[in-house]
Amino acid sequence: MNAQSMPKAYLRVEGLHKQYGARTVLDGVSLSAQKGDVLSIIGASGSGKSTLLRCINMLENPSRGEVWIDGEKIELRRVNPETLVPSSERQLQRIRSRMSMVFQQFNLWPHMTVLQNLIEGPLHVKKVAKETAVATSQAMLKKVGLFGMEDRYPAFLSGGQQQRVAIARALCMEPDVMLFDEPTSALDPELVGEVLDVMKQLAAEGRTMIVVTHEMAFAREASSRVVFLHNGQIEEEGPPSEVFGEPKSARLVQFLARCN
Amino acid sequence: MIDVLNEYGLAFLYSDGYRLTGLVITLWLTVISVFAGFALALPMSMALVSNRAWVRLPVRFYCLILCGTPLYLQLMTIYVGVYGLQLVRDTPVLAAIFKDGMHCAPIAFALNSAAYTSIIFASALRGVPYGEIEAARACGLSRRLVWTRIVWPRALRSAIPAYSNEVIFVLHATSLASAVTVKDIMAIARDASAATYKSFEAFGIAAAIYLSLSFALLACFRRLETRLTIHLRRPGVQMTVPIARPLPASSHRMNRP
Repeated sequence: MNAQSMPKAYLRVEGLHKQYGARTVLDGVSLSAQKGDVLSIIGASGSGKSTLLRCINMLENPSRGEVWIDGEKIELRRVNPETLVPSSERQLQRIRSRMSMVFQQFNLWPHMTVLQNLIEGPLHVKKVAKETAVATSQAMLKKVGLFGMEDRYPAFLSGGQQQRVAIARALCMEPDVMLFDEPTSALDPELVGEVLDVMKQLAAEGRTMIVVTHEMAFAREASSRVVFLHNGQIEEEGPPSEVFGEPKSARLVQFLARCN
Repeated sequence: MIDVLNEYGLAFLYSDGYRLTGLVITLWLTVISVFAGFALALPMSMALVSNRAWVRLPVRFYCLILCGTPLYLQLMTIYVGVYGLQLVRDTPVLAAIFKDGMHCAPIAFALNSAAYTSIIFASALRGVPYGEIEAARACGLSRRLVWTRIVWPRALRSAIPAYSNEVIFVLHATSLASAVTVKDIMAIARDASAATYKSFEAFGIAAAIYLSLSFALLACFRRLETRLTIHLRRPGVQMTVPIARPLPASSHRMNRP
């Protein structure tokens, strides 16, 4: 595939396949996002949403396909018929440092304070000065509404607070793209709101976000485009008004009916 | 009791008049064996959790052999067995190393401790939640940094209780060194017993020394654990960075597993 012939997209996924033995999780998914896009990926459990997201930063190795970011292709090499792995650890680290990820299970490092969690990446990956990293993390904590919590340990924070710290940690890397993997699915219902509010705020700031979510309200309100995944394929895609307002595919209609 | 102490007290502690003996030797053996065992166990435990069979299996085999045979036998194999090899006796450097019990004992203890310690560390490494490793990889940390910044700090903390047992085990195991002519606490106790016929007193003194060493080690590890697991303790109380905050004595007991 020729890069020049494609329309310029900031993040581009091309023909992604993921195979686990006989099971096909992703069956040729292509999507792209411009700068400032908020892309919500919705779909039933097992439709391949998380796998798709995890293939973008290569936490999961695709079986076929390409990932491009800012005109640069992640170099892959085949290790067996169903696995491509990044061929350059260097390039992978550089690209990952520009695509931070927020996980369903928060995955904060429990032996570090909130502040240490936030400055870890900037300090050791981006090699910024400690004072700069601390200043940035204070600003990000303020943004997620946790200013003054920097000396706490993650175990003593609520789920919602932990996830907001995880978002602040992702922000501290000053990423070009943020990947959210069901960021509210592990939270108690009353804590979901505080996390979604932060995410809406980020969306409004014009950050490029790819969000795998079960929160239809968020997808409807905050995203610029919605992708509906079914059995590893994109079943329908479009602006939220179309996807939610006038769904074309029968499966999407069925899915939305079950969600509401 | 008093006469045994009068005659052998100094020998129990550090010297029989000709050379270093007793406590000093025991401590020396323990420190060398523990540090060497620790250093060997770091890469070995990483090998034990490796996905690659050719990395994992040799180390697993090593651990199987070293944990499956008595330490006394291992010590004898190195002291008597290895020195019995023609090749070793014909090579001056090797001969010099393996002729001396003071060399063979720490080698045997370190190799043995490395096996047990790497098993302890390997299970601690397996206990580090994979999500935390993914989070580190996802923000671009190199493999090396993921090990040094996330995985090892997490694993070593959780290994402290089991590892403190291993260190005390090594301390006690050094008493076997008396079998290869090393004049440690045990050897002095045996000498004193044979010379004075006050066996109960002689071995009692040795026991008292080993006991106090064990307790001292336990206390050290407990302090270490208290300091390094502050992120897990006293729920509900605000935790702040200065890690060496003195804790009430009661919290030590409460937080033992």
